[in-house]
Amino acid sequence: MVAAIKQPGWIRGALGALLAAAFGVGLVVILRDISGLPIWQTEQTGYPHVVVPLITAPLGFLAGFGCFDYWLRWAAGMPTIPEDHSQHGAKSWKDYFRFNTDHKVIGIQYVVTTFCFFFIGGLMAMMIRAELAQPGAQIVEASTFNGLFSTHAVLMIFVFVIPVFAGLANYVLPLMIGAPDMAFPRLNALSFWMLPLAGLMFIGSFLAPGGAFDAGWTGYAPLSTGAPLGQSFFNLGVQFAGASSIATALNFLVTIITMRAPGMTFWRMPLLVWANLSTSLLVVAATPFIAGAQFMVLFDRVLGTQFFQFAGGGDVISYQHIFWFYSHPAVYIMMLPGFGIISEVISTHARKPIFGYRLMALALIGIVVLSYTVWAHHMFVAGMSSWLRVPMMFTTLLIAVPTGIKIFSWLGTLYFGKIHTYSTAMLFALAFIVTFTIGGISGVMLGMVPIDIHVSDTYFIVAHIHFVLFGGSVFTIFAGVYHWFPKMTGRMYDEKLGRVHFWGTLLGTWGTFIPMHWVGMDGMPRRVSDYAVQFGDWNLLISCFAFILGACQLVFLYNMIVSWRFGPRAGGNPWRANSIEWQVSSPPPIFNFDEIPRVVGGPYEYGVPGAKHAIMSGEGAEVSQPQPTTVGSS
Amino acid sequence: MESATVAMGGHAHEEHHGPPEAHQSSRIDRQTLGIFLFIVSEIMLFGAFFASYFFLRVVVDPPTWPPEPFELPVAIAGVNTAILVSSSFTIHYALESIRRNNRTGLKLGLVLTWLLGATFLFIQINEYVNIGFSARDLGFGSIFYGLTGLHGAHVFIGLLLLSFATIRAFRGHFGPEEKDHLGVEVPGIYWHFVDVMWIIVYTAVYIL
Ligand code: HEM
Ligand SMILES: [Cu+2]
Repeated sequence: MVAAIKQPGWIRGALGALLAAAFGVGLVVILRDISGLPIWQTEQTGYPHVVVPLITAPLGFLAGFGCFDYWLRWAAGMPTIPEDHSQHGAKSWKDYFRFNTDHKVIGIQYVVTTFCFFFIGGLMAMMIRAELAQPGAQIVEASTFNGLFSTHAVLMIFVFVIPVFAGLANYVLPLMIGAPDMAFPRLNALSFWMLPLAGLMFIGSFLAPGGAFDAGWTGYAPLSTGAPLGQSFFNLGVQFAGASSIATALNFLVTIITMRAPGMTFWRMPLLVWANLSTSLLVVAATPFIAGAQFMVLFDRVLGTQFFQFAGGGDVISYQHIFWFYSHPAVYIMMLPGFGIISEVISTHARKPIFGYRLMALALIGIVVLSYTVWAHHMFVAGMSSWLRVPMMFTTLLIAVPTGIKIFSWLGTLYFGKIHTYSTAMLFALAFIVTFTIGGISGVMLGMVPIDIHVSDTYFIVAHIHFVLFGGSVFTIFAGVYHWFPKMTGRMYDEKLGRVHFWGTLLGTWGTFIPMHWVGMDGMPRRVSDYAVQFGDWNLLISCFAFILGACQLVFLYNMIVSWRFGPRAGGNPWRANSIEWQVSSPPPIFNFDEIPRVVGGPYEYGVPGAKHAIMSGEGAEVSQPQPTTVGSS
Repeated sequence: MESATVAMGGHAHEEHHGPPEAHQSSRIDRQTLGIFLFIVSEIMLFGAFFASYFFLRVVVDPPTWPPEPFELPVAIAGVNTAILVSSSFTIHYALESIRRNNRTGLKLGLVLTWLLGATFLFIQINEYVNIGFSARDLGFGSIFYGLTGLHGAHVFIGLLLLSFATIRAFRGHFGPEEKDHLGVEVPGIYWHFVDVMWIIVYTAVYIL
């Protein structure tokens, strides 16, 4: 027992959480006592004796779990334990439940955890659609409904889409650039372990008095500053999720900049690497804004500050400005890594070099820069200064240009390619292009002030965000998972079930979200549990398709679990792809490479005779003299 | 921070062989780049509060700033600014000392920096106690405490990092080689950031 307490792990973690929670409560009690306040405060926004432990307990858990052990030893100047790589790599499934510094283990931890949240969030969506299948109240009360759609969105955005990309990239990116691991492996592990804590906090808010947070994923003040305790769970969960993604982004940036294999110049990096480079720039520079906004809301709620209180000289609209200054870039945080995945999949399965590779990379950078200039297009009807409208409309329409460049580049890549659709990944990639384009076009419509005023806060918005987030981001996530499943597990998934999943998902997505455009145009408001009877038929149809969509995800779940266990062995390179992660075994060796590969050409030279991307260790001899057959690459 | 373990010669392919050394593809080392990027995100965190400051002061536009009965101790905070700024020089001195392998200078510089930083925090807390308004008093009070408090928290973190460096320095770590004193240099970079940020906060909150 004593040994178990000393060892970093779950027991010490639980103990740490308990101690830290007790410390938090004690701190509140003592501070309140000193300042002569009543010890317990149970106003609905306050509850400091819940809020403070909500900060300390997760930190206590992380400390107990062993996330800080190495650093603490270092900080105290103690002799560091010689690295025996015992925290690196997984020998059994148990190692996935430990503090592990191997980017491949962390990648899988990320993907599995985030998919758990995807299914929980999906279940909530099913409940939302069940309630909305008919006008009137059937299944849940209005206030529960508000909690449901808010937690649904928050789970999907903060603990599914954003981190699942970090997980996939965690796995493949170091391999792709020929690095043995990420730049800061311990920070990487810490970033992962903060994530489930954030997710649990979001879900745990259902237990709070007053129910889950219900001010939407946007948490607008003053709705959020006056909401019951659950809102504080949101404020804090976002801090943990945000810290996790900032740390990962920093890690990616340093890895990409300082750890590329010899010969891997910036213009030879696969587009997935470019995509994560640009996403990380967005995360590092934008995420602190949501952290700031949520801190201020929390202070208004618990400490009684006046940041957003009109009566106290605060500014209500400023919340939206600060929030959207993060959250518009955030929509690209949720999309750019997907663009990277699609580029890999399309180029591999069309057997052609990416059309306009450099322009693709520059378009990413263009999106990064422009995405900081468009935030107020979410606020056309919020009562902000009206002179801001037209410039924001202009920049919003402008940002469609680099996005369009990417679409046309993929089309150019496909054009006259040898398109293989034997992989579900490619099916999702192709469907992504179509679906995302529709979502992008409705985005451009929304960017225009007059149209936006008409459809603001209606189901048209819901249609747009789901076309870009489900048809966009989630399709790319599926493409990525299918594409790298053989690499990550060493086994093949069942292609037939993959197809069932694909067609069901496509049908479900379109069936669910296309009609939302019509009902939105006709004025059905979003975020309300009831609606006018005239929308009844459409909504029933929407709900039916939504259930199809939900059911198909179970096929995916089954396929992934069973194939991981029993699927046929996959070779190192089942898709005959060029990038480095496919040149090692599946799953890759524990330290990725025996020797760092040497990069000698671009990553997408499919069909170019004699072209080579990288020379792996042991291959050196056969390629030592220059290849005479290399033709000028595009 | 982390020195890659050298794979034991001879049996390279057995159990204990470590990862291959990563290729260094940039002149800047990981830790330094990491702290610079972290500072970028810290600047943006301050940016969120400065945005709020802008709204509360310029957009809401209260008749007076600070609002009527309240006053800011500009002079005391000015002295405090001088204290914090001088600590930037002492940390620089510490770093230059270890570069020249002057261990006494390193320790002296670190301890001085730490004391100056702690004095700054102490004076600031004292100011909070005596200032006569709280974070609940108008948007002004909220953003005053918001900005100075956020900065104070950064001084605290900086002090924590400096304590680590100081402990290690007294235990005989660090050396004149570039890679051997990153543990001083990296917290030092952070400390300079905290100083510069204070000058901006001071200007915005107390002077303008
Ligand atoms: C061509 C590109 C795009 C344009 C021009 C665009 C434009 C817009 C506009 C103007 C709105 C505000 C509608 C309103 O609330 O009245 C909006 C909402 C939204 N967009 Fe986009 N968008 C684009 C792409 C994307 C992408 C790629 C994503 C995510 C992957 C995304 C996610 C969202 C979300 C989540 C909202 C709703 C925010 C809320 O909850 O209120 N958009 N978009
Ligand atoms: Cu936007």
